[in-house]
Amino acid sequence: MAVAETAEGKADRATRFLWPSLAIPGTVWLILLFVVPFYGIMAVAFSSQLDILGQPIPAWNPLQWDFTVMRQVINESISGFYRPSWEHTFVYCFLAMMICVLVGYPVAYYVARLAGRNRGLLLALILAPWWINYLTRMLAWVGLLGDKGYVNEFLGLFGVTPVDWLAGNWYVVVIALAYGYLPFFIIPLYAYLDRIDQRLIEASRDLGANSFRTFFRVTLPLSRIGLITSIVITALPMFGDYYTNTLVSNSPATTMVGNSIEQSILSGFSRAKGASLVLILSAVLLVFMAYYLILTVRSSREAR
Amino acid sequence: MTTVGLDAAGASHAFDDASKRYVPPWRNPWRRPYVLASITWAYVLWSLVPVLISIQFSFNNSRSRSSWVGFTTDWYLGTNDPNSPANGASIAQDPALLRSLENSVTLAVMTTLLTVPIGTALALGLTRWRSRASTVSNGISLFPLVTPELVLGSALFLVFNTMYSSIPLGRPAMLLGHITFSISFILVIVRSRLVSIGPEFETAAQDLGATRIQAIRTVLLPMLVPAIFASAMITFAASLDDFVVSNFLYLDAKNITVPILLYSAVKAAPSPALNALATLLLLGTLAALLVTYLVLRLRRRGDGGSALDDLADIEM
Amino acid sequence: MPNEANDSSRAPAWRPQLHRRDVLRGGAIAAVGLGAAPLLAACSSDNGSGQTASSDYPLARPDSPVTLPIFDDNKPIASGLEPENVGVLKVLNYADYMAPGVKSDFQDKYGAEVQVTPYNNYDEMLSKLNASGASFDVVFPGPSVLSRMVYGKLLQPFNNSYLSNIKNAWPEYQDPWYDRGSQYTVPYTVYTTGVAYRSDVVADPSEGYLMMWNADYAGKVGVLDDAGEALSMAMLAWDITDDINTADPEYINAAKEKLNELTGLVDVKIDITQYETIASGKFSVHQAWSGDMIAARWYLPKGETTEVLGYWVPDDGAQRVIGNDNIAIPKSSESPVLAHTFLNYMLDNTVSEKNFNWNGYQPPLDKLNAQYLIDGGYISDNLLSAVVVPEDFTKGIQFYEQPVAVQNMWLSAFMEFKSGGS
Repeated sequence: MAVAETAEGKADRATRFLWPSLAIPGTVWLILLFVVPFYGIMAVAFSSQLDILGQPIPAWNPLQWDFTVMRQVINESISGFYRPSWEHTFVYCFLAMMICVLVGYPVAYYVARLAGRNRGLLLALILAPWWINYLTRMLAWVGLLGDKGYVNEFLGLFGVTPVDWLAGNWYVVVIALAYGYLPFFIIPLYAYLDRIDQRLIEASRDLGANSFRTFFRVTLPLSRIGLITSIVITALPMFGDYYTNTLVSNSPATTMVGNSIEQSILSGFSRAKGASLVLILSAVLLVFMAYYLILTVRSSREAR
Repeated sequence: MTTVGLDAAGASHAFDDASKRYVPPWRNPWRRPYVLASITWAYVLWSLVPVLISIQFSFNNSRSRSSWVGFTTDWYLGTNDPNSPANGASIAQDPALLRSLENSVTLAVMTTLLTVPIGTALALGLTRWRSRASTVSNGISLFPLVTPELVLGSALFLVFNTMYSSIPLGRPAMLLGHITFSISFILVIVRSRLVSIGPEFETAAQDLGATRIQAIRTVLLPMLVPAIFASAMITFAASLDDFVVSNFLYLDAKNITVPILLYSAVKAAPSPALNALATLLLLGTLAALLVTYLVLRLRRRGDGGSALDDLADIEM
Repeated sequence: MPNEANDSSRAPAWRPQLHRRDVLRGGAIAAVGLGAAPLLAACSSDNGSGQTASSDYPLARPDSPVTLPIFDDNKPIASGLEPENVGVLKVLNYADYMAPGVKSDFQDKYGAEVQVTPYNNYDEMLSKLNASGASFDVVFPGPSVLSRMVYGKLLQPFNNSYLSNIKNAWPEYQDPWYDRGSQYTVPYTVYTTGVAYRSDVVADPSEGYLMMWNADYAGKVGVLDDAGEALSMAMLAWDITDDINTADPEYINAAKEKLNELTGLVDVKIDITQYETIASGKFSVHQAWSGDMIAARWYLPKGETTEVLGYWVPDDGAQRVIGNDNIAIPKSSESPVLAHTFLNYMLDNTVSEKNFNWNGYQPPLDKLNAQYLIDGGYISDNLLSAVVVPEDFTKGIQFYEQPVAVQNMWLSAFMEFKSGGS
């Protein structure tokens, strides 16, 4: 008996560190390759020294931080040359999000609740774009919207003169963004709508409410969290998007802040300015991020 | 959720019974939702038809990606016909195209193999380990999910060029980057399965004399296999599809992946070889998807519900 | 500001025996220049020395040529070595700037695949070359970035015994002003910068640069994705200044404003694929390098002839923007002997001719002079304006290397244009 107890005690001591030691590799990984790099952005943004090629030497020591560039970038974002990028980013993302809601909600709702026999097929079809490479989908549109592409050919049937879609039109960028991110918008919303108790909706109808009333008084309030989650999930990558804009417009008239960041950091214009823009963008998105994190933590706690 | 179908059938019954008195369609809560149905089908067409057309153009017997001339497989298989526009520029003949495909697949496989153990261990650890440190670790591990790739990509680019300069850009840096954004996928998927399993099975195994490690190995892990598998496939697909992080870290032609090639080729003079490349990438992802679906279905057998729903849940 | 810049061009402040660390630290140019005039003013008052915009590398000019230093830790390779057998030559270059046939011939001859990593401008090139783990065998820098690259130890000096074909080059490029003794560079191409247009669309090409500001061509106008080229075009088009190396913020700002106008006026695009886009008709007017239009014939749609192409440069040679590109070997090369072999290969008359046939950029080799190329049928009559002769270099205006701070002023203005102006 005593022997058994000791063995068990040993095993306990051996396993006391089991859970932490399982969690540690992943945690260390994320500290080294996520937290530290994020700090690296600050070190570059707040750097005050340039090397011979004009690139900032990161200031790892916070005591040496210099906020000159940051201040300058903030000023330029408010009234200087980054202002159009920010305006474009906010306006395009907002409009694209409106399209996502107006198209995505009905689709998710229909597939989740009303599709009947076709449900499996439709679900597969709305899942499909999620698995198709984003750039592939965009390129498909670039082909269609070309000077002699199918879209102009089709419109030509109705006597519309060919439109130069890819010449830097803001509405093309907005539609492209909506097109690109709709699949990511629909799926979480679908999963949420799918879980709403059908009986609540039936009850509303049985009690004499018509479809519209039922929708606005019962379904919509019940799906509020799903809707917000979808919006947040979609907004985060959309704000950091630069490739959509490059592919369908590539014009200074539609530059978004993602383009400014890419050009500053990758094309070597000024890494310090690029890093400052990344920090400002992160601050703007913090609201969304915080909301999503709280939601995730809360739902995982409820599940426990 | 098979109940929806039944409800619909029941609903039309109710409609028949109630139709003795005329009810205008907009007043009838049980009428067929034609408007919603047409929006949905229109969306499906809008989202998929362009891709189908783009696949079609990978078989175009011309350099054009927008006007159809005729059918050929030259952009895939290559040709020696000096008059063919695909001569020398096909996937089979242009080493850069083939290399990008190889790079994409290799990177995705390596990412998956390395991320799955790290992510699964993290999920196990964080689900069961309760302490202040685990709360912090939990917070850190969720952040990559909500960080735009642009932020992660530029952050990694900046540190690999300075503090971590011993890690060269190219394959090593790309691999580290892909693993970093994938860990959280695995964590979320495996953990939600762990939570739904609950600690009872382990406890039971331990009551029956198994050590805790034995309990994990023989009881918990087998139950987790489908979730681990699904998350592995998601990781594979995410890595295969990634553009932003790769674009920041690839450095040179040797390491170019398909998405980078697609992006940079649009700035130059794209040919149907690009469509062909995109089509092959799509086939790769579809294969991963199919395998996942079959595995989920196997697991779901006799258990009602649909594997598709599981997929939809996972993708959240 | 202008004073400081003038200082630097008069008397380059560089020391011959610098250590890398010193250079890097010194290169920090006090507090981050980043191109903002107020900032720079603040810097110079900080250190009070007034040397803010002076340079940590020599600034070569035709009238003050520079012999680039050879550092102790960066010596040429030994003579008489065999090319490395690594199967690949890693080239950092503009896209479509080297003939595929020339690459495959090299592979057939030396067993190394020529693998090109493309960039859009020198800043991107420097960023790649300087990246952690970067290893490239061949790179194509112009004179305006050369000193910086040598002092930043991004390039390695040649062992000229591998480069016997340098004798084929124009004499001035066997001992150029930016690299006396050709220690780090061999010449690749010469070109002018002008305006390419579709002659079937453009009514009056004599408008010159102002074709770009003509609203008739809205939606089909492009400028080069290059700070120097784009801003200098605006300076010349609107008589802002003739000095395309100006360090005067007012001039740079005025040029930027003119570029910004293009965004609203003609929906301008910024890229460097004019050889394809003008040929295919996607653009009607695009700022271009001369070689692009000679190469454009390869991109014409079926049934169209070079008649539809046009290239405008100022008639007066003294008004022309002219330049040359070089080939160099990065310090990070893992196969330097193979790289030397490649450079010598590119200087071969036959190879060069084949390359020119495809990319349209004239190599400055004696044999391939203008008359030879015209006689060879490479250049159609309506594109004779794209031909460069050695005398053009004595008259034309060229981009010179600038101190980092001035460089950044130009870049900053260009970025503002790219970001949609304000």
